[in-house]
Amino acid sequence: MEAYFIHLIILIGIYLILAMSLQLSIGYTGLMNFGHIAFYSIGAYVSALFTLNDIPFVVAFISAGIIAGLFGLLLSIPTNKLKGDYLALATIAFTFVVYVVSLNWVSLTRGPLGLPGIPKPSILGLSFSSNIMFLILVAIVAIVVYFFIRRIIDSPFGKVLEATRDNELATRVLGKNTFKIKSVSLVISAFLAGIAGSLYAHYITYIDPSSFSMMQIAPILCMVIIGGLASLKGTIIATIILVLLPEPLRFIGFSSSIVGPMRQIIYALILLVILLYKPKGFFGKVELE
Amino acid sequence: MSLSIILQLLVNGLVAGAIYSLVSSGFSLIYSVNKFVHFAHGAVIAFSAYVLYYLFSTLGISFWFAVVLSLIFSALLGYATNELIYKQLRKRKSSPVILLVSGLGFLIFLESLILIFFGADVKVINLIKVTKGLEFMGAIITPLQIVIILVSIALLIFLFIFMKKFKLGKAMRAVSDNKEVAEIVGISSEKIYSWSFIIGSAIAGIAAVLIGLEQNLEPTMGTNLMIKGMTASIIGGIGSVPGAILGSFLLGILENFGIWFLPSGYKDAIVFTLLFIFLLFRPQGLLGIKRRAEK
Repeated sequence: MEAYFIHLIILIGIYLILAMSLQLSIGYTGLMNFGHIAFYSIGAYVSALFTLNDIPFVVAFISAGIIAGLFGLLLSIPTNKLKGDYLALATIAFTFVVYVVSLNWVSLTRGPLGLPGIPKPSILGLSFSSNIMFLILVAIVAIVVYFFIRRIIDSPFGKVLEATRDNELATRVLGKNTFKIKSVSLVISAFLAGIAGSLYAHYITYIDPSSFSMMQIAPILCMVIIGGLASLKGTIIATIILVLLPEPLRFIGFSSSIVGPMRQIIYALILLVILLYKPKGFFGKVELE
Repeated sequence: MSLSIILQLLVNGLVAGAIYSLVSSGFSLIYSVNKFVHFAHGAVIAFSAYVLYYLFSTLGISFWFAVVLSLIFSALLGYATNELIYKQLRKRKSSPVILLVSGLGFLIFLESLILIFFGADVKVINLIKVTKGLEFMGAIITPLQIVIILVSIALLIFLFIFMKKFKLGKAMRAVSDNKEVAEIVGISSEKIYSWSFIIGSAIAGIAAVLIGLEQNLEPTMGTNLMIKGMTASIIGGIGSVPGAILGSFLLGILENFGIWFLPSGYKDAIVFTLLFIFLLFRPQGLLGIKRRAEK
């Protein structure tokens, strides 16, 4: 039972990093970034492949973030002028490309077979192979990410991000390069998703393309929207609730092949209800536009 | 590169294009009237295909009757989606992004339902025994594939006449052009929205039948089809039904000729590269007029 709770808290930690970083691009910058899973996937694969080739965890972990961030930059260039639903479509397509490549580049990713035996992290001889140690690692990273994002949104740069979200033209008139600002925001968001991917890969120790299909965006998007746009507090509360909410399904005695889709149904229904009746979410300051 | 290979790739491209056009024409029709991305369109196709499978292969209802029932089902599903979700959101004056996200939510809902009802394994509607394809100058095409191409062309002609000559089609164009003016002359936009969903989803039903016969059924097929259909619509000019059909054939042919350069698994990657190129340089698509992408 204790092991099970530790497992849940680790999951919450990883989802927190993902949801908070998505909040940065959707909530604070107004970028309809639906490609978050792609960065998560890139981070997971980079970190897994690096450590499987005997590169130390710390290097792999940081590289996961940096390479995911580079892809964020790459995505931001063609999509910088797009807005709203067009941007959403382009980033959904990006998720699909990454998925297809991870499925087909067999010589690198072993395709649908996935990458087994990803080592548990160890930093300077300190091993994080037990779950309790891993929990500490995830907690530290999540807290650092929280303060990092907090710092960004409280800074003058954060205000410019919100100004870009509310009125891009006016912000540009004030002499701010909004294209650059949006790129930076997406790169930071992608970097953080990348390190979340790295943590996931080293926790589960096995990754395959199906862990990063487009459907996986559902829970994270729910966390951001239910918590409310432009509210980190909301995101954190929503993440904790949404990770725990489907758990009782396991105890009612549904088979595991049913539990997965049931979880997705719960997320989808909550998402629809929130959009219909409380589109600002619980702590949101702005509406999705 | 012999002629027969070129011809075979062209045939495969045409078949793929016809399938995409079945998806994109309905999607594009709904988009042109409603001005938002109905993301659950793909799931309507997938669900209808599973309904056909259930009626025909499991219950053993005669094929044509099962087809009629699944067409009615898809039209109703589209109608219900609009009534229960989109209409309510429109009342609240929600932005197109909210409508898109809710469509995504509904797509996930329907796909998960398929998983629960039918399981994750691949299903086959075994109406047609494996037939030998017809040979045409070294290229092989099956009778079903010819039917798919013919149906998609017939649909194109029907939609064209429908939008130009029928009263309902004209009303749809009016609402698509300018909702306020259309309402002044007495066209109820809500009614037209409903009709666009019924007709668009009935086309989705036709797509479901033909795709269900040509390919295996998978729970995630809706998303895949949706992404292809959407890409085709953007390439052709989003909101333009002829554009969507043109884009579909272009897409089908390009991805099949792409096999020359890349392994076939990368077909989808070619599609999205094309999508990015269009979003970057010509977001209004081939036949689109307005630069809505940047608005």
